[in-house]
Amino acid sequence: MKSKTLSYGIRKQRDFGFYIFSRIVIVITIVVILFPILYIFSVSLRTKDTLYKSKFYLIPEAITYQNYVDAFNYAKAHLDVSFFEMFRNSIICTGVSITIAIILSAFASFGFSNFRFRGKELIYTLIIATFAVPVQASLIPLFFINRDLGILNTYLAVILPYIGFTIPIATLILRSFFEQIPVEIKEAARVDGVSNFQMFLKIILPLSKPAIATCGILLFLETWNEFLFALIFLQNPKIQTFPVALAKIAGGKYLVPLGIYTASIMITVIPILIIFLIFQKWFISGVTLGAIKG
Amino acid sequence: MNRFQKFHQSVVVPYLWLMPALIFLLVIVFLPVAVSLILSFYRFTGYELNIFNKFVGIYNFKFLFHQRYFWISLRNTFYFVGSMTFIQTTISLFLAIIIFFGNFKYSSLIRMLIFFPGVLAPVSVSLAWRKILEQDGLINQILHTSYPWLSNVNLAIWCVIFVNIWQWVGYNLVIFYAGLEGINKELLEAADIDGANWTQKIFKIVIPFLRPTIFLNALLNLIGSFRAFDIVYVLTGGGPAHNSEVFTTLMYYYSFAPNGPSKMGVGAALAFVMFLAIIAFGIVRIKLLKEQKV
Repeated sequence: MKSKTLSYGIRKQRDFGFYIFSRIVIVITIVVILFPILYIFSVSLRTKDTLYKSKFYLIPEAITYQNYVDAFNYAKAHLDVSFFEMFRNSIICTGVSITIAIILSAFASFGFSNFRFRGKELIYTLIIATFAVPVQASLIPLFFINRDLGILNTYLAVILPYIGFTIPIATLILRSFFEQIPVEIKEAARVDGVSNFQMFLKIILPLSKPAIATCGILLFLETWNEFLFALIFLQNPKIQTFPVALAKIAGGKYLVPLGIYTASIMITVIPILIIFLIFQKWFISGVTLGAIKG
Repeated sequence: MNRFQKFHQSVVVPYLWLMPALIFLLVIVFLPVAVSLILSFYRFTGYELNIFNKFVGIYNFKFLFHQRYFWISLRNTFYFVGSMTFIQTTISLFLAIIIFFGNFKYSSLIRMLIFFPGVLAPVSVSLAWRKILEQDGLINQILHTSYPWLSNVNLAIWCVIFVNIWQWVGYNLVIFYAGLEGINKELLEAADIDGANWTQKIFKIVIPFLRPTIFLNALLNLIGSFRAFDIVYVLTGGGPAHNSEVFTTLMYYYSFAPNGPSKMGVGAALAFVMFLAIIAFGIVRIKLLKEQKV
């Protein structure tokens, strides 16, 4: 958090009106953004008899972690799936699909950036055309493909579409990165008689670590929170990812006690919050790059 | 080099690198989308072995257009997509300008906080807001009212829109901010010397400079909100009585919902309608992507 005064920015004395206005707007915005999350967090920490008692809606009268214990037990008892299992499922689905999507996209990007061949731009357009396709337009046939392959209600049922729908953005980012690698490096390798595959593995990939990390973050955001495919293709509670399971805990037909409801939400928010705090720079640069390039 | 070697070098080798990704896209994205278009002319429930059994011509479309829900969902999709495209883009542009020129000490912290909801699962966000908007929820506690926000026929969709903007405004903000960092500082300083005020600087210099970024954000929001499903599904379930249904949730209702009519053909017809509605914007997006590459 560097403090610097920008020469083209506002100055307190000169632009006093704008100065005050900007502070008010930002304070209101941050309150609107944070208040709901803090409120849910606050409720999740309250004891049963102080659920509706608090100062300024946020500060609990008595604090307990009992709701979190109850939420774990509630999930186990009512859903046939514990929080551990749903996070395990999410980690498997996200991890496998990101890894494969990035590997395949890296291959494709190497093909695009290293060779001249007929139909190159046409194929490339075809790949990024996927951005134009609403996932819903593929949903019904995918359901039957999964059914006929016998993989409905297995991890593969969501992993395959996750890979398919994330390849375009990964290819877009990796291709443009691979093309920025100086030609001299590639030519030097060629002179040494390195094969294409060795060049890819020993030269291009190690140089592309930042781009791959950016890709990883972007694809993580896309797949970790994914709901629709998981809702339809994973009907067996044991293998459901956390968004689907959470929607059932807190949004199901039974009236869930407020403490368990809010604690369940927080259990899904806290891991991503930690990841976000650690990798925040990557998240923001990933999203920016993904938007501009992808 | 003989002819075969040449062919090998200029066609076989590059396509080998592309092949894995292309196969995935073909099977997971292009083939299903094409099949989905075809399926919209068949009647099937999802339980039969051969779904191509009953060809019904344009029956599904006729059925769909005679449903009151279809027209409600069309109106809601229009509100939803329109709000994201215009309102969310405007708010985030406004915030980005304020933060960029505001000389805030904690500028990057502020951006991070506003961006934060964007990394959360829409399911978690919707569940939190569902509790907050309930009749005995936080909003009514603060306002000392007991208004049924989510079960009001006309208000429900606007609650969904509000929550969606709440979640994604930081996403656009981050992209705008990255755009602003490339602005010509001398121009702004020159305007200062000429005694231009803030309104003039923002409308004559900043906004014209950001025009491509504004267009990009609006387009991203348009395409993204067209696909949104989780937020409506969890927040209102399309209710009350289908009054906050959008295309995606209505399609789920016809095709997959456990309490739905299992009319998958109608779902496919709706997917067709969505595909047609979005394709023009998708092509613009692809054009943009191609322009800054190659």
